[in-house]
Amino acid sequence: MIDAIQLLYVIGILGSAILAGWQLAPYITRVYSRAPGRLDRVLNPVENRVYRLLGVDSQGGMGWKEYFFAALAVNIVQMVIGFLILTNQDILPLNPQHFSGLSWDLALNTAISIATNTNLQHYSGEYALSYFSQMTAIQFLQFTSAATGICVAVAFVRGLTSGTKDMGNFYVDFVRTITRILIPLCLVASVVLVWLGIPQTVSGYVNAGTVEGLVNGASQVIRIGPVASLVSIMQLGTNGGGYYGANSANPFQNPNPATDIFEIFLMLLLPTTLCFVYGEVLGKKRETRPILFGAYILFAIDLVIAFIPNTALGPGIETRFGGFFSAFWTVVTTAVTTGSVNSSLGGEHPLAILAAFMGMLIQSTPGGKGVGLMYMVMYVVITVFIVGLMSGRTPEYLGMKINSRDVKLVMVAFLIHPLIILVPTILAYASGAVAAIGVPTTTSGFTEVFYEFTSAAANNGSDFLGAQANSVFFNVATAVVMFLGRYAPIGVLMALSGSMMGRKRSTEVGLRTDSMIFTLVLVASILIVVVLTFFPFLALGPIASYFQGA
Amino acid sequence: MGVNTDKVLVDSLVRLSPLSLRANPVMLIVELTFFIVAAMAVYPQGFTGVATVGDRTFYAEVAAILLITVWFSTLSDALAEQQAKNTATSLRKLETEVMTKKLVRHDWSRDVVQVPSSEIKKGDLILLEKGDLIPIDAEVLEGIAMVDESLLTGESAPVRKAPGDALIGGALVISDTLTAKVVANPGESYINQMIKLVESSKRPKSPNEVAVTTVLIGLTAIFSIIIVGILGLSVELGLAADLSVLIALYVCLLPTTIGALLPAIGLSGISRLYARRIVAKSGKAIETAGDVDVILLDKTGTITVGNREAMEFLPLGGHTEKEVGEAAFLSSWHDDTPEGRSIIRLAYDKGFVPKELNSLALAEFYDFSAATRTSGVKITRATSFSLRKGRGEAVRFRRKSSDTSSSEDEADAEIEIIKGSPDSVKAKLVSPPPDYDAVIEGVSVKGETPIAIERNGEALGVIRLKDILKAGIKEKILGVKTMGIRPVMITGDQPLTAKNIATEVGIDEYVPRAKPEDKFLIVQKEQAQSRIVAMIGDGTNDAPALAVADVGLAMNSGTEAAKEAANMVDLESNPAKIIEVVLLGKQLLMTRGAVTAFSIANDIAKYFAIVPVMFAATLPQLESLNILHLGLHSAVLSALIFNAIIIPLLIPLAMRGVAFKPSSTMSLFLRNTLIYGGGGIIVPFVGIKLIDVLIGAL
Repeated sequence: MIDAIQLLYVIGILGSAILAGWQLAPYITRVYSRAPGRLDRVLNPVENRVYRLLGVDSQGGMGWKEYFFAALAVNIVQMVIGFLILTNQDILPLNPQHFSGLSWDLALNTAISIATNTNLQHYSGEYALSYFSQMTAIQFLQFTSAATGICVAVAFVRGLTSGTKDMGNFYVDFVRTITRILIPLCLVASVVLVWLGIPQTVSGYVNAGTVEGLVNGASQVIRIGPVASLVSIMQLGTNGGGYYGANSANPFQNPNPATDIFEIFLMLLLPTTLCFVYGEVLGKKRETRPILFGAYILFAIDLVIAFIPNTALGPGIETRFGGFFSAFWTVVTTAVTTGSVNSSLGGEHPLAILAAFMGMLIQSTPGGKGVGLMYMVMYVVITVFIVGLMSGRTPEYLGMKINSRDVKLVMVAFLIHPLIILVPTILAYASGAVAAIGVPTTTSGFTEVFYEFTSAAANNGSDFLGAQANSVFFNVATAVVMFLGRYAPIGVLMALSGSMMGRKRSTEVGLRTDSMIFTLVLVASILIVVVLTFFPFLALGPIASYFQGA
Repeated sequence: MGVNTDKVLVDSLVRLSPLSLRANPVMLIVELTFFIVAAMAVYPQGFTGVATVGDRTFYAEVAAILLITVWFSTLSDALAEQQAKNTATSLRKLETEVMTKKLVRHDWSRDVVQVPSSEIKKGDLILLEKGDLIPIDAEVLEGIAMVDESLLTGESAPVRKAPGDALIGGALVISDTLTAKVVANPGESYINQMIKLVESSKRPKSPNEVAVTTVLIGLTAIFSIIIVGILGLSVELGLAADLSVLIALYVCLLPTTIGALLPAIGLSGISRLYARRIVAKSGKAIETAGDVDVILLDKTGTITVGNREAMEFLPLGGHTEKEVGEAAFLSSWHDDTPEGRSIIRLAYDKGFVPKELNSLALAEFYDFSAATRTSGVKITRATSFSLRKGRGEAVRFRRKSSDTSSSEDEADAEIEIIKGSPDSVKAKLVSPPPDYDAVIEGVSVKGETPIAIERNGEALGVIRLKDILKAGIKEKILGVKTMGIRPVMITGDQPLTAKNIATEVGIDEYVPRAKPEDKFLIVQKEQAQSRIVAMIGDGTNDAPALAVADVGLAMNSGTEAAKEAANMVDLESNPAKIIEVVLLGKQLLMTRGAVTAFSIANDIAKYFAIVPVMFAATLPQLESLNILHLGLHSAVLSALIFNAIIIPLLIPLAMRGVAFKPSSTMSLFLRNTLIYGGGGIIVPFVGIKLIDVLIGAL
């Protein structure tokens, strides 16, 4: 277990994320309600020009289908652009190291991976990507995918809000998210990161002479670039795709404990803020409680599991951070489905891996920004339905009766996850793809493969395999899983919100979803319905490894 | 209603056919797995890699338990169906085919033709004589007779039926003769609607039932993917899991408990309602009752016993108590209500017998009407009678055959005595006495009812009537309020009287001086604010309100229009039962929720029983998870047996419903979650271990 000082770190970081989220939420809510603000004078002309350029009617509202398909179309266009940049980076500018274009399957995987906010990396950035690719295909898509996630979540909440007639305008939400939320936050974060010692340059890799070189003339390439700006959006946007293959275990991406703590804070910031935005947009601030408390109680359970073993250093653990910060990071990065890592997962204790799995299976502890919120609302709806009957009334959420169409949509959303994790996992074994990349048929080997698809399905992005999985099967299979894992649940949950939009609301209070009792029941039912479902597979992987070691 | 054991057994076995399991996908899948495991027992060689030849006995045992699981489910269905059939049979007794005397018009005369009751149509005239069974719902046109409705309502005293009264099909005429107009076609009466409801195998599911079924199908699909996933991995990774063990895990995880009991829970609601002598026209209405936010309660009959008792005569102006008493006596002579009788009794006891008594034979009576809210009498000197025109149905002429002899004394002038609600009477007065309002208020303040009396436009006095509260009504209203339901009292009384009674029973909202049409407006007003409204009604005036109310309970003694508009009919015509209907609706929803939560919570223990032993051959380290310390075969059999046996153990709960005391929504939720959710986690751990120990001992 952890000591008192470490506990203070945990409480301090989580507490400041919650405090910052609480403070930030009213501003974010105003961005989406298009309330006048101080930035209008500067940003309105810029945004209006963008709308004119895109030919968008910035006043019209959209139904759930229109909104969802607009988001999907914008994302697909970005994937295509990302794909073309990655395959053709050799003929594009800002390539001082003269890297060649990526293979089609790796480019496809990478484009989808970044656009779906997954950032599963089957490449090592510093050895394969030009500055141009890093700044456009990776960094710009990290902005747009983060913005997409927040936009669909806000539209989803609008559908549940009393008195709304449409879900808003995707293009307007999208542009405003980038100009008014992501860019300002990233500017601040980048400056802090540079100040804390992370490089930010496009001047090319530095060829430095080493001490050893004084004797034999050997030299070392110091692979630096626009790292700080990328790190800020990858953490803030719960993307997770790092500049370097080793991600935040690389000293240029995460040089010291201070950057480590700050990066953990950045990961937690937006997902936590959105829990507060939920209540603000709904106009029922108390409804934030089950979402926020539910997420953080589950998060705490994950942390306890990860902290059970002695957090000593193992192979693959960064000495700069030690066992505690490595386990802590691993739980956070999966709890908010960022997927950045500060240590090799292979060096983590099986219980930390188990906790990581739980974060990715639940996806809302508090989950990736936007999508995590949608998942949690979905869990609330199904929990209200199953246990709400026991209060002797037809289950209602936010005063709206839950009907069989709602239940059907939630059930479809539930089905997607096991389907897109298990089918490719079995296929990977059956097709021989696992053996081809040299993963042994053992418990730990199974953990690696199962983790790969779980991470892809949850749009997390952390993985054991990394560049080892750069094979046609794994590139294509995870690309499909990431795509479905991102857009299928979003589409289904948008449909749920669309079907609830404008529904008759009862003014009487039945089951109180803002009560602590309900939050505890919510946590229990998520553990039973979501985590236990995968229990047999977890038993085959990290649990078996744990008992083997014990 | 005895249960026919043989029939239930046979029926439950017939229902095992996959064809009749179509409606229950969970059980259909369990039966499918039975066939697979049975095949494994017969020919294990056909299942290379996932079966062991030496385990044939084990496979046979697993197969047997799987089949028994399905059988327990069909048994529960058959039991509930049997109960419903009994209900239908007892209802059908009310609708037996009899020869009926139909009146056929021939120019100027009427002929009586004997026809079977099934050929009677709506609008036909029928003749009912002493000893006849009333074939179908009808309305009395002519005659007065005593009718025995005990079969239908359980009320043993015969009921007097006069023109305008409703006759219920199935009742027996025990005196005199009636002419009646048929108001329903055979097969259309509400009793028939209910018979159809309980007998139809394709009983329409309530919206909530459909949604629960969707959850069950969703969970089934998820577990199907999981099990196929384990099977695939087991083969690919060479984990050598046994197919029968996988199937056992699958069936244990499926929501079999709720899947098996869901149909029984729905059906039992209708049966339980009928046990309280209430006929529901749809299962949906019963569940809607659980969601009710507002109950409109008619004061009379619901909160107070119908009969108010006359306590005192209070004179007004310069009149004496005797004058008031005598006038009250006269005006109440024809008033057959308990109130009217109590007025006569009081006057008689005090010795106020009027001398005009003999003239009453030729008097003209005005029955109480809801529109005028008065009744009265007009006594004339004339020997011939005149029927006042223009008062419509409210006026009816009666002739007392016994005292036609003496009408010579007194009463030179016409005397018209009107008694009724103080407002209506006041409107008729030439000049109200100065103490009129004060006396009325004095009575009202005490929560009692003042009835004003006037004679030829001059106020005489006030009769003080006392309301008698129904036994236990206060507690019932408190219960309703604790559950977050708003009771609203509707009454024709003065605001003060209404307020006093409302305060006495703990009702905060009341509508005084209400006319029947007001109910419709109140229902609409509440519904406009998205509230679910329950109400009772009996008159034709109530029909529109009954039709729009979410839960409308009509009294069997009421008019046909009311019964047609409502979605439930109380055969005993006890309006206070609306509260029971609401409780029953809640109980039904709670039972469904409790069994669902229990069923899902059970999965935890089942995972811990089976998963550790599933890969015992290849991953022995998982033995550490085996917290129940079960052997491979014993784990599978214990979990499966527990999974099966819990179904019949919960059948009584499904049929009777979850027991509960009226309390707030949140405390009901907390209590049931702890019992059925918490119990659902703990009970199977204990149960499975217990069964394991028993198996070991055998």
